[in-house]
Amino acid sequence: MAEPIKLSIDGKPVTVPPGTLLIEAAKQVGIEVPSFCYYPGLSLQGACRMCLVAIEKMPKLQTACTTVVTNGMVVHTDTPEVANTRKSMLEFLLTNHPLDCPVCDKGGECELQDAVFRYGAAETRFLEGKLHEEEKKFSNLVYYDRPRCILCFRCIRVCDEGMDVNAYGIGFRAAHSEIIPNRGEQLECEECGMCIDICPVGALTSGTYRYKTRPWEVTYTGTICNHCGDGCRTTLSVRNNVVIRANNRDHSGLNGEFLCVKGRFGWDFVNSERRLKSPLLRKNGKQEEASWEEALTFTVERLKTILAEHGPGAVAVIGSNRTTNEEDYLLQRFARTVLGTNDIDHHRTADFSSLVRALTEAGATDRYATIEDISAAKSLLLIGNDPTHQHPLIAYQIRQAVRQHGARLYIVNSREIKLRRQSSQYLQVKPQGEAEAVRALAGQAPAAQDLCAGGTGALTALADALKKESDTVILFGDEIQGQTVNDLVTCGLTLPGKTRFVALGDYANSRGAADMGLLPDTLPGYQPLSNEKARERMESAWAAKIPAAPGRNIRSIFEGIRAGEIKALLVFGANPVKTFGLDNAALTGLQLLFVAELFRTETAELANVVVPAASFAEKSGTVTNTCGEVQALKRTMRQAGTRSDLEILLALARLFGQRWTYQSPEDVLREIIALVPGYDIPLPSLLVGRAVPTHPEGRPPALERPDLVFSSRDSLFTSGTLSRYSWALNSVDEAKKPYGHAF
Amino acid sequence: MLSDRLKAKFDSVIARYPLKRSAIVPLLLFAQDEIGYVSDEAVEEIARRVGVNPIEVIEDIGYYSMLHRQPVGKFHLQVCTNISCMLRGGEKIFEHCAKELGIEHKQTTPDGLFSLEEVECLGACCGAPAMQVNYDFYENVTPEKLDALLADLRKKDQGSRIKD
Amino acid sequence: MGNILKEITNSATALAKGFSITFKTMLRPTVTENYPHQPPTFEDRYRGLHVLRRDENGLEKCVACFLCAAACPSNCIYIEAAENTAAHRISAAERYAKVYNIDYNRCIFCGYCVEACPCDAITHGHGFEISAYDTNALIYRKEQLLEPLPASAKK
Repeated sequence: MAEPIKLSIDGKPVTVPPGTLLIEAAKQVGIEVPSFCYYPGLSLQGACRMCLVAIEKMPKLQTACTTVVTNGMVVHTDTPEVANTRKSMLEFLLTNHPLDCPVCDKGGECELQDAVFRYGAAETRFLEGKLHEEEKKFSNLVYYDRPRCILCFRCIRVCDEGMDVNAYGIGFRAAHSEIIPNRGEQLECEECGMCIDICPVGALTSGTYRYKTRPWEVTYTGTICNHCGDGCRTTLSVRNNVVIRANNRDHSGLNGEFLCVKGRFGWDFVNSERRLKSPLLRKNGKQEEASWEEALTFTVERLKTILAEHGPGAVAVIGSNRTTNEEDYLLQRFARTVLGTNDIDHHRTADFSSLVRALTEAGATDRYATIEDISAAKSLLLIGNDPTHQHPLIAYQIRQAVRQHGARLYIVNSREIKLRRQSSQYLQVKPQGEAEAVRALAGQAPAAQDLCAGGTGALTALADALKKESDTVILFGDEIQGQTVNDLVTCGLTLPGKTRFVALGDYANSRGAADMGLLPDTLPGYQPLSNEKARERMESAWAAKIPAAPGRNIRSIFEGIRAGEIKALLVFGANPVKTFGLDNAALTGLQLLFVAELFRTETAELANVVVPAASFAEKSGTVTNTCGEVQALKRTMRQAGTRSDLEILLALARLFGQRWTYQSPEDVLREIIALVPGYDIPLPSLLVGRAVPTHPEGRPPALERPDLVFSSRDSLFTSGTLSRYSWALNSVDEAKKPYGHAF
Repeated sequence: MLSDRLKAKFDSVIARYPLKRSAIVPLLLFAQDEIGYVSDEAVEEIARRVGVNPIEVIEDIGYYSMLHRQPVGKFHLQVCTNISCMLRGGEKIFEHCAKELGIEHKQTTPDGLFSLEEVECLGACCGAPAMQVNYDFYENVTPEKLDALLADLRKKDQGSRIKD
Repeated sequence: MGNILKEITNSATALAKGFSITFKTMLRPTVTENYPHQPPTFEDRYRGLHVLRRDENGLEKCVACFLCAAACPSNCIYIEAAENTAAHRISAAERYAKVYNIDYNRCIFCGYCVEACPCDAITHGHGFEISAYDTNALIYRKEQLLEPLPASAKK
């Protein structure tokens, strides 16, 4: 470690590591140096000249954002010269600025407004009229108002460096300079809206938020995005029970300022007109609105009849990838103890069970990587998946690792994914060849000659390169499952340093669903049903019997329905008809199909009973991201007529005569913390909004069949069923591009 | 489609620069000379050849006033109104031009013969007021000289048509 | 004896002093207003019912900046904003107030909203007859607050 640098700013002594920028050093001692173009993490620009400070022995004022500190530097930020300069710079920036703050969306949270208030320059000395230009619509989600723009170029840099999309440029010159989009008058990009968020003024505005309200008029609630499995923190702005925008306002959590198009704009399904508001009950072949009491009583009565006639084997349950851990936990408790069936499963999008088993067997349960580990990694191995589409945050963190810490990225994939631009070695294998490549890397089976374009030599080169790395983070998609995960973990653990692993699952709580035991053969915390001790532990906690025999997996459930063995199916927050491509006849054998959903999905259309569930914005609880980090959801609003899945389950249990004592999701969480191995998380950390990593340990049974684990391959603009009900996600032309398209 | 001659020119120009992207402006000029303006296709081709994003090529076109994204007239009249020319009546020349042709800054006559543009310093201050027609310079321009020039250009156009 | 004389003089002086005011006032013009038989008079700066102003083209001056609502100490102003379109133009700027309510149950007529308004859109009028049997009737909508369209505005 190099010697720290000592300098003085406004007479205050400062000690910082070498290479620190003056503006950052000043921040450390609480001295604010105003700037617009400087943004931590982006390349330096020196465009706005707001950060000019006086440094002794330097002839002119220097820009603090581009000056690296040196030993003995004496800096002044409070001289009249600096104050005058700030005022003059603001006067320049306001030359053509319309000062339409009362109308501008940014008014109230505008950096330029704040600076003018603080440093003056409310009056201009220019006599010429201001240049005016009409507002431009770059896309349905991004608008550009040239007169407000102060040309700090943050948007250009974040699009290029942060997002690797490069959709913006600078058009024309001098006073006529403006930000131009890449397709003539239009943007063609990932529509992540990072440019809107990063804009210090109101030049770039959001198509969904513009001119709706003012920043001090809404309530802000930090919660977790409900789309992909990365678990980005997002702040929902709510006014009158309507979500108006989402942005990670305080830049907290594991995503910092990052949000993708789904996180920033894809929340509007919550406000959708098509939300179910009342339970539907099928009467005479038609679904009709019914009261909650009617719908739930009907369900329970029908269930009781079926259980009495056919036994617990005639009832199956399908859980969700999006509901909270508490709900998932209660759902499997309900299935196993109240219904007495282990026929419970969900759409598995990554083989978390195999990863947990492999790491447990290797005695390496400290090797689950967190999102932070990814951005701080020196070396990354990505096998399968396309994080740019399926895991926008992880893709962003990988790019950050490569750009800011010079990490090496190694990719094994059968498709030309966009992240190959950042890779040091990119091994393109034949379609579905990822697993074979892993087996070959692990030395389990020799690779076929046609596995990759460059012959097996490329594979050897990759193996050699990995052996020279240390502390590699290995990320893998659904391509790697079952025994191959085991091979990958065994091979990965032989690499130098502390190798860590991430299985990439699709949705907000895919990981939580597996962790909470929405599986036919596994109890919460990956404890196999066959493990008598684990079973007894749960039985004594729940004071009920759990059937010991493993239940049907999701494919067998469908087969059971076809064969007429299963008479009742309960579906919570899933759309299996669409996901598994079931035909119309697949579910006709059922006497009861109960669906708890937000919308009338393909599955809900076939149901006898549909109950309106609450969305992520309307409930509290916890979710676990694909890296196993638990975060808290916070209720921000209410939707009349809906109930959370937790409330639905409690009501069902009550009608079954159960005396569950849970009052709130927190009660369930306390039980999870007490009972589920690996989930002994500190509650306070969770409540203050931290992401708490978990380290599950268990030996769940091996994967029964390969078609149980598959990813939906959602693109940037799709998110299972939810995205269909989002205006924003469907309003942009880019949404028509297929999965895997590189913008 | 870009002509083979242009592509060959691109190859030879790029080879002259140690840094490929330095060739962007000369490539744009050659492309414009041949096509009359810089087409989308030319932008894509140049970006591909020098290994930059197309938006960076578009930025350059915006920066340099002599590069055009749309076709311009057969004779592109560029009147300087920078300080030396302004002091010697450059603005009057520009206004005269606009009046004679019935078009404004960055506009083209309906017959596609003339385009007019008010440009920054042409580097011909010694002969202010100066103007440039395509690549030819005209110095010490007066309204009378301008009328004669316009008539001359019209005649030239007629001549070329007869020959065609 | 002298005491009695003094008392009489004092009483007479007091009476004269008191009645002088009575008689003086009798001759002055009357200040009592004959409301409701005659309309009351107001000072120009009287803070009465609010009026939302229009510009010379008849467009609403309010751009729904919410500053009045922010300045309001009794929190009685409620606004919903919306964007103007070329076909549906309400105000001259990009945004207009779709809903503008003042709750006169709460308004204390302090005038802070008028001071805060950057567009001179909200002003105090001289209206004061707002008593109602139903508190709901005291929530005034934009339509009630808006100044009528000027004759010059083409419609």
